[in-house]
Amino acid sequence: MSEDIKVSIRGLYKIFGIDPEGALANVRAGMGKHELLEKRAHVLGLKDINIDMKAGEITVIMGLSGSGKSTLIRHLNRLIEPTAGEIWVDGDNVLDFTDDELRRLRQERMSMVFQKFALLPHRSVLENAGMALATRGYRREDYESEASHWLERVGLDGYGDHYPRQLSGGMQQRVGIARALTSNSEVMLMDEAFSALDPLIRTDMQDLLVKLQQELKKTIVFITHDLDEALKLADHLVILNDGCVVQQGEPQHILLKPADGYIEDFVSDINRARVLRVRSVMQQGNGGRDSFSGEVDHDDTLESVIAKAEGDVATRFRVLRDGEPVGTLEMSHLVRALVPTRASDDGVRSSAA
Amino acid sequence: MASYDVVFDTLGLRQWCDRDAGGGPMTMDQLLGRSAGGDEAAAKSLWELPFPSLDTLHQACNALPQTRNVTKGLEQLFLAAKDGLKVVLDPVTQPLSWLLDGSLFLVLNTPWFVIVPLLLAVVYAVSRSLRLVAFVALCIFALAFIDHYDHAMQTLSIIFVCAFLCVLLGVPIGIAMSRSDTMKRGTVPILDMLQTLPPFVYLIPLIFLFSVTESKLYGIAIILYAIVPVIRLTDLGIRQVDPDVVEAANAFGMTERQKLFGVQIPLALPTIMAGVNQTIMMSLAMVVIASLVSAPGLGVLVLRGIRNLELGVGLVAGLGIVLLAVILDRVTKASLQRINPEKTD
Repeated sequence: MSEDIKVSIRGLYKIFGIDPEGALANVRAGMGKHELLEKRAHVLGLKDINIDMKAGEITVIMGLSGSGKSTLIRHLNRLIEPTAGEIWVDGDNVLDFTDDELRRLRQERMSMVFQKFALLPHRSVLENAGMALATRGYRREDYESEASHWLERVGLDGYGDHYPRQLSGGMQQRVGIARALTSNSEVMLMDEAFSALDPLIRTDMQDLLVKLQQELKKTIVFITHDLDEALKLADHLVILNDGCVVQQGEPQHILLKPADGYIEDFVSDINRARVLRVRSVMQQGNGGRDSFSGEVDHDDTLESVIAKAEGDVATRFRVLRDGEPVGTLEMSHLVRALVPTRASDDGVRSSAA
Repeated sequence: MASYDVVFDTLGLRQWCDRDAGGGPMTMDQLLGRSAGGDEAAAKSLWELPFPSLDTLHQACNALPQTRNVTKGLEQLFLAAKDGLKVVLDPVTQPLSWLLDGSLFLVLNTPWFVIVPLLLAVVYAVSRSLRLVAFVALCIFALAFIDHYDHAMQTLSIIFVCAFLCVLLGVPIGIAMSRSDTMKRGTVPILDMLQTLPPFVYLIPLIFLFSVTESKLYGIAIILYAIVPVIRLTDLGIRQVDPDVVEAANAFGMTERQKLFGVQIPLALPTIMAGVNQTIMMSLAMVVIASLVSAPGLGVLVLRGIRNLELGVGLVAGLGIVLLAVILDRVTKASLQRINPEKTD
């Protein structure tokens, strides 16, 4: 296993029903989700999931409701037991853990942020933030400084003595994030953490997460059903449909080369300029020309380049990486990359229509 | 002679039936029939065919038992089991007698000017409401003024002891029920039975088991009757705790113990307290009925009112019970309000 892979899921299956083992044999023999439900009355939750999550990256698992994404994230800390498969964290198979080891994993190495916040209503904000440490046996005076530090970092300075019900949804989720950060775990699981918030606050929280992540470099597993959110946060994007991984990889790549109709549907109506980056559409070398109207970084979004060019399609930019020129960006190429893909004919939308 | 003779004759059981003919005294029905002088068999048409009950069948076949033998059998079974039961139950329940006798002795032998302020202090401690303290004080002084102080205090002290034991036993049972569906399936029918059994019926087996002079007799009756709501509501309260919060507790690696005492019980507390309130109210109801088996207190006066047709005595004692009920209800509800974590302050 390579050095920087923090969490790795191998051949994971989850089948819900009375006899999952028996149904597993059917699934391995090629029975599909609908057939399994009709013939054996078992629900196929997850089918042969293989994902590697690199340390310090945000892995976003995206799918519509019912795609199994929340089930998947709960396998990582074994809130749900898999039917088959392996889950490796730092070289340990979580499924081999005893109850004690598992508890220690949850207390020290993996924290979680929930869609509905799931704060303890009878404890103060500070006590909630320190929950992971209190669970490990720290007394209040021992975890107070740590918890206050993280509350301050998420923008809740001075709210320590409030109770969760006195805070707005966005603030409650900040407590949820502070709680996960206070545990000092390297892996953070975020289950639709921002889905219950209204759009403006959601953007705020995404920015907060990006800012914290730049500095903390945690290994984050983020679940969402919102593609814009996924593209904004993801270093590695996994798209899940009906319990299977449809496509995974760098978000840019998925956007430019959707694997099938299902993903085409997803990507057809997002703001491509905001997601695509210069490196995905530039050409290597300087193209034999040396008149440039400016310089852009290879990691800039196309949106920022358009702003720089003030909408002029005749311009051309030199692309730099770490200050070194690595290629050329023609505005005409850029515009071509922005041509929206149509929703595919055999995709989910046309069949729903 | 009897309606079902034919049946036994056809089945060829006649000999077996008449083996010990004429055994046992007649039933009341037979006696009445004989004294009326009618010849039963002649008068009966098919229209008047009696239901083939044990007594009717016995007329046709002496080998079958009569209904009175069933009743008697049950009684003898109970009496036979009684000694064995007593060996186990007596020592187990003896502390209840001590507790009841001790608390009764205590309230009656401590001067009123110690007990009343103490009570009021307790009321203030749990409710933090001076208005409620004033109300309770008024009620107690009213009762004392008409010389019902001793009876009221006896009733109260029995309720305190029994409700305390109900909570002590009921909350753990409720917790166990909330954690195991098997346990719940086993317990619910018992709770249903305890709740639907008329209160008087509790007293019957207890009178046989224990002497009426022992206070545990009414203690057990009260506890059995009043423990149901606290068990049910503890179970309900814990099962109703937001599953998201429980999941969060799991996700942060809480042990079962930390989860129970740190999350589930605190969040279920309002529901549990509602159960305690119900339990106290039901203790009060039962303590009145338990005066039939020598429980002291206001119930005795009510009973006297009924027995001797002393209308005034019964009514005043009844009103006293209402006052106590109002006090207990208000105080427990006020404390419930105070601990409710959902309230905003």
